Amino acid sequence: MRTPYEGLRVVELADDPAGELTGAQFAHLGGDVVKVEPPEGAASRRTGPFAGGVADPERSLSYWYYNGSKRSVVLDLTEDGDRASFHGLLDSGDVFVTSLHPRQLRRIGLELSDLVAPRPALIVVSMTPFGMSGPWSDYLSSDLVGLAASGLLNTSGYDDHSIPPIRPSGDQGFHTAASFAHLGALIALIQRQQTGYGDIIDVSMHDACAVTCELANPYWFYPQVLVQRQTCRHAQPQQTQPALFQCLDGYVYFALVLSDQKPWQTLVAWLDSQGLAADLIDPEYESLEHRQANFPHIQDLVECFFVLQNAQQAYHEGQERGLPIGILNAPEDLMHDEHLQARRFFVPVEHDGYGGVPHPGVPYRFSAYTPPPLRAAPRLGEHTAEVLEELTR
Amino acid sequence: MTMTSTDARGAPWSREPRPRQGPLTDVRVADFCWMGVGSLATRFLADFGAQVIKIEDRTRLDLPRRLPIYKGEPARAYGEEVPNPDPNKGGLFNNYNRNKLGVTINMRTERGRELAEELIRASNVVTENFAPGVMERWGLTEQRVRSLRPDVIYARMSGYGHSGPHQHYRSYGPVVQAVSGLSFVSGLPGREPSGWGLSYMDNQAAYYNSAALLMAVFARNMTGEGTDIDVSAVDAGIELLGPLLLDVAVNQRSTRTESFPTGNRLEHPQAAPHGVYPCSGDDRWVAISVFDDDEWRALVASMGNPAWAGEPMFATQADRFEHQDELDRHIGAWTSTRDRHEVMHRLQGAGVRAGAVQDARDLTETDPQIGAHGTFFELDHPVIGPALFEGVPFRMAGLEPDNWRSAPLLGEDNDYVFKTILGMDDDELAELTAAGVI
Repeated sequence: MRTPYEGLRVVELADDPAGELTGAQFAHLGGDVVKVEPPEGAASRRTGPFAGGVADPERSLSYWYYNGSKRSVVLDLTEDGDRASFHGLLDSGDVFVTSLHPRQLRRIGLELSDLVAPRPALIVVSMTPFGMSGPWSDYLSSDLVGLAASGLLNTSGYDDHSIPPIRPSGDQGFHTAASFAHLGALIALIQRQQTGYGDIIDVSMHDACAVTCELANPYWFYPQVLVQRQTCRHAQPQQTQPALFQCLDGYVYFALVLSDQKPWQTLVAWLDSQGLAADLIDPEYESLEHRQANFPHIQDLVECFFVLQNAQQAYHEGQERGLPIGILNAPEDLMHDEHLQARRFFVPVEHDGYGGVPHPGVPYRFSAYTPPPLRAAPRLGEHTAEVLEELTR
Repeated sequence: MTMTSTDARGAPWSREPRPRQGPLTDVRVADFCWMGVGSLATRFLADFGAQVIKIEDRTRLDLPRRLPIYKGEPARAYGEEVPNPDPNKGGLFNNYNRNKLGVTINMRTERGRELAEELIRASNVVTENFAPGVMERWGLTEQRVRSLRPDVIYARMSGYGHSGPHQHYRSYGPVVQAVSGLSFVSGLPGREPSGWGLSYMDNQAAYYNSAALLMAVFARNMTGEGTDIDVSAVDAGIELLGPLLLDVAVNQRSTRTESFPTGNRLEHPQAAPHGVYPCSGDDRWVAISVFDDDEWRALVASMGNPAWAGEPMFATQADRFEHQDELDRHIGAWTSTRDRHEVMHRLQGAGVRAGAVQDARDLTETDPQIGAHGTFFELDHPVIGPALFEGVPFRMAGLEPDNWRSAPLLGEDNDYVFKTILGMDDDELAELTAAGVI
């Protein structure tokens, strides 16, 4: 066995990043993911950015990102013949992944309960904005709306509360739903190994994000306080000191924690190595009370220190000294990161006309399994004939 | 959500370990995890029936046991620990460690390390998320663990992975978010990044680690073979950055510009309005997203067809995208006198994507989805009392999580694990306790 998903057939009918990233988890680890697209192509083919800036269903980078290693089959589910082929595909499938709401499925003549009744071993993974039941189950969403209603958005933004909460970027509401869709599918796959039966997994993006707010819910469950958003650091019941430090050419994240003696000494030694520790080397700063009483002064000195540093150098030197400090990498910095390069994290994927394009590699490493090389996302209907022919065998 | 004298199945409440239910009952985890990522990763397995044995050190308490998130006490910030905290009072620990067994082993003693090895022999999964090198210092290399248990799944969870020049770097959620690019891409243009108000990557890295463990269990059920697992949170964070990475790789897009990031506005597709607007009340907001002409017309009708909406600058989706500053002023003026939930329901009723910016109190007390789904549920705890937990956010027709117990007290299951699983007698147990080994 080369990968955990070798031999697994996944049928994907998805029109948002939640459904497409879920399918990608299977495809990247060796599953045969057949992406069913309508004749005009999946919505992501019409979503930018586009390679070369030209809107073209074969050049959508959103499509490329989420659909590598899948096969594309065009089926018009409003046509009887194509619908029969779709049912044939499901007969051959282990998992059916869909981000279409039951209401949207009904519009194209599909009812989830009818799909599973003749296929007791099929695992259906459904992702919807608010789940299939409950008073808001028919409400529409977007990544922003999903993050807002779930409580996650409320934790993120700036110290200045005249500015609204700011959405952490990158479709993370959809991605959080995808993570739980993948986990639900795995639980159902393991259950099926024991019982032979599949199941329907009803993932709610709203609920998935609501359990992904880290401290906000425990702060309400226990001391019954609400956390307040702060610039680029944890939302907390009270205001804390800034943790984002400007450097000569960028930013680092570093939470100044005074309570532990060793990190404090490490920090002072670092500042002192450049002659910038000022009075922090005085003996009275060995006492926690004195440090706490002079927190704003310490914060000022640390700000002055970082503003004189190159961000990369500060990141590496801080880490080498044992401090948990992180550089705020821009996406274009990542491909030059020596650690990621040594781990061969980015892998080149051949795209017609664009050569080897670096894609992030699989973020799971197993000693016993080697994921297959990542393939470029398929052209629209690239595998229609091939897959339909397989079904006749 | 009220009963505390019986468990979810109606049986009399008991903290005694009992046979578990779910697809993972054949899985026993020698769980060295601590902090957020590791504890959350193994919690998902425990929810579905795995016997997760959390191994703790009495002299180096898990941070969530120490963090001052206490029921019935005034709120303190994350870092403000009280001196000599009661290790059984921590709310965050309770939240992260439900459904697990808890034992204590002092790994700095030779007998302690022997005991851990016995436990690994009796388990079929080993998990850890220490700084790299800690398990090796205890002799628990991949080779050693596999020699103790040939079919073991040995999951190593870390910030940077177990290879590469930065593998020894220290990290937690915000550092991972910074290094993977997730913080830089979030914020208003022309300002410092607003990043994240939470350790998103503690949660997401935990989900990726749970998935890696389950993939390995799924495969082992077919082949009988185990595997070592190396999941790096930074790697996962980069995968989560999304298509922007390809914009950079293919189009040589630079993100270090005055117009990036774009705050609450989307670059792709060209949605407008797409923002968070003020509502009545202090710091109250509603999110609205409009992707096409139908949704725009529905929004305009919901606002009572104001004259400004008919201006040519708002005629098409492209026009609206171009004139978002003006558009946002108009929308904000309309929302600012209204209740955030009222706006949400009115717009959703007309087919417009809208959501009140909710907080933890809304989710707990009034959110009808969380309520109808039972996503937050209650379990009793001997020191804390009844408390709510963040449950599994999906439902299955034929299976539900087996929520049998809140988090273990420190060393609560030493008797059960060392006697029933490892076969020790009372004398040996007393000796180990007296010697400070457990």
